[in-house]
Amino acid sequence: MRATRLSQVPLVLTTAAAIVAALGVASCAKAGSSSAAPGAHSTLIIGLFDPFTGPDAIFGQEMVPPCRAAVQVINSSGGVLGHKLACKVVDTRGDPADAVPAARQMIATTPNLVGIIGPSSDEMDATAPIINAAHIPFVTNSGEPSFNHTHLQYYWRNTPSDDATGYAMAVRAIGLHFTRGAAVFGNDINAQANVPGLLASFPKSGRKVVINLQLAPTQSSYETEVARVIAAHPDVLFSEADSQTSATFLGEYKQLNHGKLPPVIVTNVGMQPDWYKAVSGVIGKQMMTDVTGVQTYASFTGPAYQAYKAALLGLKGVPDVQQYFTNTYVMSYYDNVMTFAIAMLAAKSVNPVIWNPFIPRVTGSGGGVVVHTFAAAASKLPGTSVDYVGAIGPQSFNQWHNSSGGFEVAQWLPNGQLKQLAIITAAQVSALQSGG
Amino acid sequence: MSLFVLSLGFGVVTASVLSIAALGFTLQFGISNVLNLAYSSFMTLAGFIAYWLNTKGLDIWLCLVVATAATAILSLGLSRVVYEPFIRRGARSFEILIISLAVGVAITNLLLAFIGPSGFSYPGVQRASVYHFAGLTLSSDQLVVVAIAVVLMIGSHLLLTATSIGRALRATAENSELARACGIATPRITRIVWLLSGALCGAAGVVLFLSISSFSVQSGQDFLIPIVAAAVLGGIGQPYGAMLGALIIGLASEVSAAFINPSDKEVVAFALLVLVLLARPQGLFAEAARQREVIT
Repeated sequence: MRATRLSQVPLVLTTAAAIVAALGVASCAKAGSSSAAPGAHSTLIIGLFDPFTGPDAIFGQEMVPPCRAAVQVINSSGGVLGHKLACKVVDTRGDPADAVPAARQMIATTPNLVGIIGPSSDEMDATAPIINAAHIPFVTNSGEPSFNHTHLQYYWRNTPSDDATGYAMAVRAIGLHFTRGAAVFGNDINAQANVPGLLASFPKSGRKVVINLQLAPTQSSYETEVARVIAAHPDVLFSEADSQTSATFLGEYKQLNHGKLPPVIVTNVGMQPDWYKAVSGVIGKQMMTDVTGVQTYASFTGPAYQAYKAALLGLKGVPDVQQYFTNTYVMSYYDNVMTFAIAMLAAKSVNPVIWNPFIPRVTGSGGGVVVHTFAAAASKLPGTSVDYVGAIGPQSFNQWHNSSGGFEVAQWLPNGQLKQLAIITAAQVSALQSGG
Repeated sequence: MSLFVLSLGFGVVTASVLSIAALGFTLQFGISNVLNLAYSSFMTLAGFIAYWLNTKGLDIWLCLVVATAATAILSLGLSRVVYEPFIRRGARSFEILIISLAVGVAITNLLLAFIGPSGFSYPGVQRASVYHFAGLTLSSDQLVVVAIAVVLMIGSHLLLTATSIGRALRATAENSELARACGIATPRITRIVWLLSGALCGAAGVVLFLSISSFSVQSGQDFLIPIVAAAVLGGIGQPYGAMLGALIIGLASEVSAAFINPSDKEVVAFALLVLVLLARPQGLFAEAARQREVIT
């Protein structure tokens, strides 16, 4: 084989160049820490750090409209302390191996990065310490129970942890007097985090979990698994899996079960538009009414919700924006951007190190004047203390920066909208958690 | 109904899809010596070609035919435009493997850019009739998939044994230098095999998407490893080995799922692969298998 020019360069020189380049990148990453204040009148960046490709691409994709909507509202109200805001997408690909360099690059190359929405459970363990070390406040959409008692100071979470979701699923099923539950969850960390709470709470007082299966994602067939579940005669199916896996599984269940499905209780993953699209395409839209889910509670009424809807409707270039009207995770992303902006106003600084501690003070537990919009908050700050109560309602962060609140039970309608059926309070979940 | 018997039936369906794919993969590698990791991306492409046609109102089985033909042509185009120039310049097998990986990633990301990450289903397909016989439960679509696989396997067997092209294919696979010396136009044979493997790849993509009902641009990726495993298990480059390897892996996966944690079913299949290769490193059809240079 002919030698190439590259192969003629001495190996030592090539290796040395690579080491110098790596050190250069590492030093840039360190130097790029956002603990320094952004320049005057510069655009402040909200990073959207989540999977935008891969099986969990929907997690990131649905962050964009609410961030853009919130930023549009904030900028049209004059921005924050002379700064405009903008959203920046950073794709983690749902893999820690990709997410870690993505996080480092984001921090190193994004001046004025002041806040982050994300990461997801796919990359949380690997990247949360990196983001925290860069002193950037981040509100995660991960429900990992390992962060229930974290000491990361820049970490915030305003959605329930996955173990609490498992209890909430049990509350729902117990309330409907089901006694034979089948647990069918994907074998990923997101889905499996729901299972311990479910297994700890449902099997009491004559109730049983008749089968507990883990599904490998995106297989060509789940028919054997379906046959096992059917043979166990459950009267309710608890499940969380990605949209393709769920669609294949439920489609084969319907086929093998004479065209019928048992009542299916899913988590917030099953309450997403892409999940609806995939599953309804296989089992039919009418049968989607058999699927209910538990997700973060939010009232779909009130001034905050109306402001959220109006902000979304004011966006250009977003097809089918109505799909986000009843998506509580999307609502939380909108509120997160608002919270960041209002915390900066309250702290009179855009330096994340300074405004990070103001997050709990401006979100519904500080005893201030309740506001539902950025404009209302801006009119009162910094002279008057405010509590921002946004689309997902008041937030109450504990000492570990977690604010979980209650759950809602929602049912899919044939038109692809969600109908709220019931509310599960945090107290009901706590009662089960403490063995009630 | 016995879960074991049920799982055998499901395993046959899985094996049917896998056998079509593995046959195309191993045929193409056996002749061209290109380990084409873009194969699963082409399966995905075929599935979406069929989807697009199905949304225009074409019957799904006609969509299968058209997608098969389209993938055959695209596969030939890939070899002419991408692989052959590199091979002419002396690129080694490992370098071609990396190029094929890059092609696969490019195709997947192009599809993602145009189609997005959402899931889709063939709009003209509903799982309708279900048949129960001999302890099995299979839908009409699944029976058609099995029938397609059987027809393609028999067709491949007849092509390889009863036609002059088939004899030329086997001779080229056995020893391309000797085949050329005997007057066989090996470049033409190589192109024919790219067409054939592309057709099988396209058919496999569509039947895979039919089997899983809901698919996305990522759906083909997870199938590449079982395809390669089936081909290797049977003896890389051996068509009959690929068929048998697919049957073993399909059955092992589904039957094991009946008794163990289903998320481990692939582990069982691959453990079986490792055991077989420990005993017969050239695969099941060891006598006829030929050492192939994959990494040099």
